[in-house]
This record gives sequence, structure tokens and C-alpha cells, in this order.
Amino acid sequence: MSQSLDAYLVLAGILFAIGSFGFLARRNAISMLMSIELMLNAVNLAIVAFGAFVPELNVDASVIALMVMAVAAAEATVGLAIVMAIYRNRRTPLVDEYDAMRQ
Amino acid sequence: MFESLVPSAAPWLAAVAAEPIAAGDVINLVPLLLLLPIAGFAFTALFGRRIGRFAFLVPLLLIVATWAIAMVVVYEALSGGFGEHGAGITLWTWIPAGAFQVEMGLYVDQLTACLLIVVTTIGMLVHLYSVGYMAHDPGRWRFFAYLNLFMFSMLLLVLGDSWLTVFAAWELVGLCSYLLIGFWYPKRSAALAAKKAFIVNRVGDVGFALGIMLIWVSTGTLDIRASFELIAKLDPTTIAAIALLVFCGAVGKSAQFPLHVWLPDAMEGPTPVSALIHAATMVNAGVYLVARANPIFALAPGVMVIVAAIGIFTAILAASIAFTQTDIKRVLAYSTLSQLGYMFAALGVGAFAAAIFHLMAHGFFKGLLFLGSGSVIHAVHEEQDMNNMGGLWRKIPVTHWTMFVGTLAIAGLPPLAGFFSKDEILGESFMFGFTWVWAIGLVVAVMTAFYMWRLMGKTFYGEPSAHVKGIWDKIHESTWTMTLPLVLLAIPSALIGMALGLPFGDSTLKRWLEPVFAGSEELLHPEKHPFELAGIDGALILVSVAAATLGLVVAIWLFGAFRRAGSRSRVESLTGSNGATRFLYRATLNKWWFDDLNHLLFIVIGGRVAGAIWWFDRTVVDGTVNGVGRLTVDAGRGLRRVQTGRVQNYALGIAIGLIVMAGSYLLIAAR
Repeated sequence: MSQSLDAYLVLAGILFAIGSFGFLARRNAISMLMSIELMLNAVNLAIVAFGAFVPELNVDASVIALMVMAVAAAEATVGLAIVMAIYRNRRTPLVDEYDAMRQ
Repeated sequence: MFESLVPSAAPWLAAVAAEPIAAGDVINLVPLLLLLPIAGFAFTALFGRRIGRFAFLVPLLLIVATWAIAMVVVYEALSGGFGEHGAGITLWTWIPAGAFQVEMGLYVDQLTACLLIVVTTIGMLVHLYSVGYMAHDPGRWRFFAYLNLFMFSMLLLVLGDSWLTVFAAWELVGLCSYLLIGFWYPKRSAALAAKKAFIVNRVGDVGFALGIMLIWVSTGTLDIRASFELIAKLDPTTIAAIALLVFCGAVGKSAQFPLHVWLPDAMEGPTPVSALIHAATMVNAGVYLVARANPIFALAPGVMVIVAAIGIFTAILAASIAFTQTDIKRVLAYSTLSQLGYMFAALGVGAFAAAIFHLMAHGFFKGLLFLGSGSVIHAVHEEQDMNNMGGLWRKIPVTHWTMFVGTLAIAGLPPLAGFFSKDEILGESFMFGFTWVWAIGLVVAVMTAFYMWRLMGKTFYGEPSAHVKGIWDKIHESTWTMTLPLVLLAIPSALIGMALGLPFGDSTLKRWLEPVFAGSEELLHPEKHPFELAGIDGALILVSVAAATLGLVVAIWLFGAFRRAGSRSRVESLTGSNGATRFLYRATLNKWWFDDLNHLLFIVIGGRVAGAIWWFDRTVVDGTVNGVGRLTVDAGRGLRRVQTGRVQNYALGIAIGLIVMAGSYLLIAAR
């Protein structure tokens, strides 16, 4: 285990950045969902790192991380259901093509 | 009794009802002079078309009634029944707006009486004449309606006691002139002539309106009599400005130079219209206006000189043009212009009573001449060119002899009317020191006699033209409705001079009108010369008669009389003899090119200016307004491209916004 908190936070930050880029730049809706998962996991890592290095937060951090995971799972499910519904309608998973609201 | 029926009735109505046999009763008849014609107009306008052939009956009878009432009012006014300075009657308050109060009131004095005589008599005779003249016209119900409306307007003008009332009637008279000149509106030239008359009138009316506004601003009242006393206290420049502006209106309405161009074109209207409006009544409105405003003019001698100058210049200009015109009505139109010039010259030199005398005499004999010409036109089947007439004097005797009387009257031969009135004008011009007016007036007298006899010679005497010979058997005298007015007008043309103009120097008319003009006469001509028949005044009379005789003799020599034919070759040799006469002939035939000048100035150049302004309005003004709209639309179209419909773009926007907000917060908080 590294002795400084910073390493874990930097890693969490990098993961979050990669996840953001993926969310903004990927065309496939499933890829976007995977990027969202990555972002949530990065946040989780940051929370748990705080829990490990700050004794008062030990219990709370674990609880928060668990909640985040549950919410992430639920949100991924819903997102996937929406993508599947749109796919059945539009026959394409590419978000570029979902432009009915375009002016 | 009437008060209960009409609780808010005009005061005069209540007065009539309350005291039917009170003193000053006659003044209550005056509003009838206005009510009857306007009722005739309303009735004929609403029901005339349905009545058809007898549409003339109601208007004619109402005008005869108006004439009768007018004669009663005139008698009362001239015999002193209204007092020395006339009487007024207020009908109701027209504009009650705080400081700006205008009453609708009527005022009758001796000057009004003289105008009433002319307006109602000639109006009545023209109505009678129109029954015959317009008998075959399907639109005659409209004609009689307009004639009644015109009578109403003219009477309102003459009777009104407030500048605003006179101005309203002024405009209304112009409107009637437009309606009547353009009566045969399908004819393009008639429609154009009507437009021209109205627009040229309007030019003068601008001056008149400005004058009225100046009166209001400087005196605070629009009542005519009240304004005179207040104007007398103003500074000379303002008085001169008021006089000049009021004269502008008279220039427009009475067709003086430079606004004379509408009158000859106005001959497009039916002949009764020419007789009534453009000879006897409407064009006299300008003369009446200046005469009524004589206290103002007397205080502005400089403006009087301008009035005289324009008057006498118009007289000689119009007389010169009448030398060469071939349309019988055009000759009479230019003759009217010339005689109106005489009247304004008389007003300008301060001979107000003489001007009114000439107004009355001219109304009668010019009305006679116009109606006679209408009868001639009817007889030769609508031919108006005098070169296509000739040899008619035996065929249409009544028309011929009445026009003969009219011609001698206008030429100024004693003892007919024109001699007295014209001589008074010329005599007074000379005696008041305006020798140039007298000299030019004398030349115009010669010219008048000449061109009038030229008209008679070409129309009635000598050999008939080819056109006349072709329809010789179909030429007949007009019906009694047309010849009776001719005879009835020939009588005053012959006798009114003696009735009103004698004794010399202190004529009946002068005594009647003395209270109206006394103040101005005192101001302008304080020294009075007694009339010397054996002295200078007698000499002036002889000179005038000699001038008229000279004109007549030359015309008889050139154009013939009765059986004696004129000599066309002599005429042509005279007009073609040298460059100067050829130029004069061409110049007068083209009306001294004033119409062309107006066309150049206002239609061509004015049209270009208007085109330029239109370009400015289209490009700059409309461009700016439309440009603002286009800018908005284009901006919207540009901004719309943010809405891509892609969620990722929106998310990117959110992310960027978040970074910007966080960054700025950190930066500012760090400070």
C-alpha cells in the first residue's frame, strides 16, 4: 500500500478523466454507459482511499462506497434499458444518429 | 312650443319660435339661405337617381325660394334695416375649446347684400338654364345636387362672420368646382382639368390658411369684425404679412397670375358650370375676400400696390391670350381672367366700391355671355371651335341679340353696365395717382372690345363654315328654359350700370357701400375731389369710350358685322406681317407658355425630385427597418446551430460550463 493519499487520488482523477473523455467522445451508446461506470468507479476509489487514510471516516467511507455501487448498478440497468428501447426503434446504437431534437 | 321639442336647439331657432313678430325679424331668415340649398343637395343626392327626369324640380324650386328670401334680406340690408354696419346672427358655438372659441355665425351688411344679389340671381338663372342644357344627360340629378351644394357653399362664404367659416366655405366651393368641372369624369381631359383646378386653388389656400393662423396668433380671435379692430393695433410688418397671405388665397381662387392656369382648363365642365362658377360667383370670392378685409389692406399700402400690379398684369396677359384662342369658351374664360384683373386693380388702388360694381356688372354680362355660348354650342351640335361657326345670327336670334348686348356691355360702351363700372375703375385709378394702372387698363379696354367683337364676328357673322352649312337645317333656337335666362340677364347687363352707377361721382352703389369702405377710404384718400363732368373726369370718360370704340371698329373691320363678312386674308396678313407679330401670335396661342413652364417645373423637375426622395425612402428608410428584421432573423439562424440534438454536445456544454464556473470561482476566491 502506498504511504500517501495523493497517489490514490491521482489515480482516481485519471480514471475519472478517462471516463469523461469516453462519455463525451464515444459514438456507441453502450460505450458511453461503460464510460459512466468507469467514472463512478473512479469516485468510489477516491472515497475508499479517504476512508483508509482518515481513521474517523473509516466506517462512513465504506457505507458511502457501497451506496454508490448500488446506485451505479441501478442507473446502468435503466440506461441499458433505454438504449435497448431506442435500438429497437432506430436500429443503430450510434448516438450521432439520435437527432430528432435537432434544429 | 319649439323649446320643448328641441331643448338644445340653436338660439336662433328658439328666437324665431319665441318672438315671431319681433324687430330684427328679417335676420332670422338668413339661415334659411343656407338651409334650403343644402336640403336640396341632400334630397337630390339621396333620391335624385330614382326620380329620374324630374330630378331638377326640387333643387330649382328651392333655389327660387332662396332667391326670393335673399331679395328680402338684400332690401332690408340696403335700406338700412340692419343698421349702418349690418347685423349678425350667431347660430351655435362651433369649436368650444377653452381659449380657442369659434362661433358659427352669419353676418349681413351692404357688401354682403351686393354679393347676395349676384350669387342668388345668377344661381337661380343658371339652375333654370341647366334644365334645358342638361336635358339629355343621364347624370343630371348629380349635376343639380352639385349645383345646390355649390350655392350653399358660396352663400356660406359670403355670409360667414368668422375667418374659419369663410375658409371652410372657401374649400367647399373649391370642392364643388372640382366636382362640377369633372362632371363628365369619363372624359380624361375633364378629370385632369378638375384636378388642376383643385390643386392650383390649394396652392393659394396654403397662403390663406397661413394668413388666418397669423391672425389668430396675433389677435387671438377669428371673428372678422373683431379681428379688424385688433389688427389695426399691430405693427406694420405683421399687418402687411396678413394682408399678403390673405391675398394669396384670393390669387388662387380668383385665378390671378401666377395661379391663373386652372381657369381656362375649367371650361371642360358643362357651360352652366362655367357661367355660374367661373364667371359669376366662385371667382368673385377672392374679390369679396379682399373687399371684406379692406381695413387690413388699407393699413398695408405696399400690399395694395402688389394687388393692383398683379391685377392689372393678369388683365393684360389674359386679354392678349384671348386674341388668338379659337374655342369660344376659352375666349370667354380669358375674358373672365382679364375682368377679374380689373377688379383686383381697382381693389389695389383703393377703389373698393368700383371693384364691387364691376363684380356685379361682370357677373351679369359674363354669365349672359357664357350661357349664350352654351346656347350656340347646343345649336351647332356641340361644336366649340369658332372657326367652324359663322353666319348664325339670323338662325338663333335670341341668343345672338342677347350676346350682342353682353358684348357691348363688356366692351364698355355707354349706357350699358360695363361702361359705368370700367370707367369708374379707370377714373379712380387715375385720380388716385396710379397712372400706370390707368394706362394699362385703357389698353386692356381696347383689347377687350376687340376680342369680344372677334368672338361675335367669327361666331355669328359672315359666311357660314362648312360644318355649319352641313347642319344648316337642323340649327334652331334653344328651348325657353335656356333663352329666358339669357333675356333675363341681358336686362341687368344693359341697365344695372345706369341703376347703380348714376349719378357720376356719387353713385347709388357707392352710397350703399359707404359704411363698409369709409374707414379705408379715409385712410388712403383723405382728400376728396368733387366730380367734374366738364373737367378731368369728363375727359377720362371720353378717353375710355374712345378706347372701346377703337377696339370695336378694328374688330369690325377684320371680322365683320351682321351681313358683312370679315376678311380672313386681312387677319392673316396682319399676324404674319413681320417677325414680331408672328411671335406674338404664337406666344398668345400658346398662352405665353405658362402651362409648359408649370409642366417643366412641377411635373418634370418635381417628378425627378419626387423620384429621388422615393429612392431614399425605399432604400434608406425601408432598408433600415427591414435590415433590423433581417439582422434578427440571421442571428437566430446562426444561434440555432447550437441545437444539434446530440446529447453528447449538450453534455460537453455542461462540462465546459462547469469548468468555467469552478475556475472563475477559484480565481476570484483566491484573490
